[in-house]
Amino acid sequence: MLGYEPGDTPAHRLDPRTKLAVQLCFAVAAFAHTGPRGLLVLTGVTALALASARLSPVSVLWDYRFLLPLLAAAVLFELVTLGPPWVDPAAAVDPLLASYRTLLIVAVAAGYVRTTPARESRAAVQWAIPGKAGRLLGAGVGLVFRFLPLLRRDLAAIRDAETARLGDQRPTRERLATVGAAGLRRAFARADRLSTALSARCFSWNGTLPRIRFGVVDAPALMLAAGLAVTAVV
Amino acid sequence: MLDIDSLTHRYGGEDDDGDAAVDDVSLTIPDGQFLVLCGPNGSGKSTLVRHLNGLLEPDAGRVLVNGTAAAEDPVAARTAVGMAFQEPRDQFVAATVGGDVAFGPENLGLSHDEIDRRVARALDAVGLNGRETDRIETLSGGERERLAVAGALAMEPDHLVLDEPFTGLDSPARKGLLDRLRDLHADGTGLIVVTHDLRDLLSDAERVVCLADGAVVVDTEPADAAAELEQYGVRVPDRRTTD
Amino acid sequence: MSTATDSVDLVGDDVVGNLVRAALLAALMGAFAFVSFPNPLNPAVPVTAQVLGVFLAGIYLGPAWGGFAMALYVLAGVLGAPVFSGASAGLGQLFGPTGGYLLSYPFAAALIGALIHGTDGLADPESVSLPRLVAAMAAGTVVIYGFGIPVYWYYLDTNLVAAVVGAGLAFVPAELVKMAAAVGIVRSEEVQAT
Repeated sequence: MLGYEPGDTPAHRLDPRTKLAVQLCFAVAAFAHTGPRGLLVLTGVTALALASARLSPVSVLWDYRFLLPLLAAAVLFELVTLGPPWVDPAAAVDPLLASYRTLLIVAVAAGYVRTTPARESRAAVQWAIPGKAGRLLGAGVGLVFRFLPLLRRDLAAIRDAETARLGDQRPTRERLATVGAAGLRRAFARADRLSTALSARCFSWNGTLPRIRFGVVDAPALMLAAGLAVTAVV
Repeated sequence: MLDIDSLTHRYGGEDDDGDAAVDDVSLTIPDGQFLVLCGPNGSGKSTLVRHLNGLLEPDAGRVLVNGTAAAEDPVAARTAVGMAFQEPRDQFVAATVGGDVAFGPENLGLSHDEIDRRVARALDAVGLNGRETDRIETLSGGERERLAVAGALAMEPDHLVLDEPFTGLDSPARKGLLDRLRDLHADGTGLIVVTHDLRDLLSDAERVVCLADGAVVVDTEPADAAAELEQYGVRVPDRRTTD
Repeated sequence: MSTATDSVDLVGDDVVGNLVRAALLAALMGAFAFVSFPNPLNPAVPVTAQVLGVFLAGIYLGPAWGGFAMALYVLAGVLGAPVFSGASAGLGQLFGPTGGYLLSYPFAAALIGALIHGTDGLADPESVSLPRLVAAMAAGTVVIYGFGIPVYWYYLDTNLVAAVVGAGLAFVPAELVKMAAAVGIVRSEEVQAT
């Protein structure tokens, strides 16, 4: 599964804000130039982004394989018609290009996911959204990263306990309700303990922001982002 | 110096496991004292210590931390009294050891250099030095408990409160934590250890306070404690040594 | 103590409590992505519990914090937490076939919360009448598909009929199962609302 891994690739050394800017500008450019030529150029940019994170396109495609049926369905809906001529390849071109565009945007974003720790993302959020809203969103994002594995284990344990007593014979609605209720109860119990611990450690509005800093490596990447943004408007 | 003066706390009927009322408790705890706070489940131990740094507000009476009411200046109280609660797993806010210990100092708005210095010192004090980038999920139970202690130490408190720190730890992990606590005490940090189980602690503590039904029923030196404690359901060494 | 404590602006206990609950509900919704059940109506598409998270956010956290919880869910996923379907993450998901659904969740949860609790204060979910609960979730589901289908249509350049069939109808029966499950959770008395 794709997730952050510590490393020393060029993409790891980029500031999180730079990486976010590249992704956003890339998506905008991809929507502006969804023709074959535009997508060819953007494929080159994608290859560069993946290389800078030392990610293989095959592994990225594998990680997002659940998208493929959804994209294929869109193409098939257009390709197949309900009357003669039954197959209409010309109509399928647009969805095909759009599906490919989706994969490119997903791949560039995968580079961010692989190379950016939660702490840096949190700092970028608080930089982009100043004030109390940014403080709440930044802290909240950090907590989601931290507690996701714990709650996943909670749910797995709840399901195992349920299956051990043949709960899997019950209808889906009941199983969703029991797992959902037990999961929610655990999550809220953890939340109550966590809130006390946060208060005890002086959770404040005006704390020190985690360190993030633009470096020399950010310059070419920011130029790339600017270039992509410019192509989108001209 | 912690000065608990006729403290009363009532709960509105919603009693969870640890949440018991406290009824007219007065105690004075000098700086640097190693105090064990014991008593059976539901005796009010956890409630009492949550008043020491202003996490709860008294219904009557007050708690003075270095002369100021904890409820009035919670920041001063929380930097003077550090706390590590039960279930340390639910107290960590960051994915890495260093990120979590930095959380408290960050809230105080300290400079990055000062934060780094405090993180290194706190981790050193609990024997987790050099582990800043380790992921919390990879820590053992004993290491997690010590990390929770480090998170509190990074606030550089005068007193450290530990709520049932030995629960679920095997004997080497208990010993590891206890050794660290001895060192901290030797360096001048006051310790308040909440427990219903006195194994390991009686030889080091300077004072034993026992609560029952929200009131102080024993307040004595450890040497005299054993005889009085068993009637209040507190586990005392040498009588029953296994679970 | 050397620290100057006057300048530290503590976050109030109410806000801390709500923030933490919202974050844990967002994380729970991410954890739901790993849990799938057989779909009673269409065995080819297993039911995941994710949309259940949107319902629960509105029901248990109310309009403001429920919407905030879902915003956290989307933001954390964009920033790399594996909370989206298939345990995926990344900004690319917002521009993918399910991007419209993701964008709808904060609005849907806020609407569900507003219909159940009104805009001042939270009611105990257990005391909310069944028709009101179901109507709120139905309205939330309309918002989810109201975002999801047009965005699918726009992103994938298909015709609208294909989008309605491909992105909408295939999933609607499963939403009914999740609504029933949410009612079951609220009535189970196992979850403390406050």
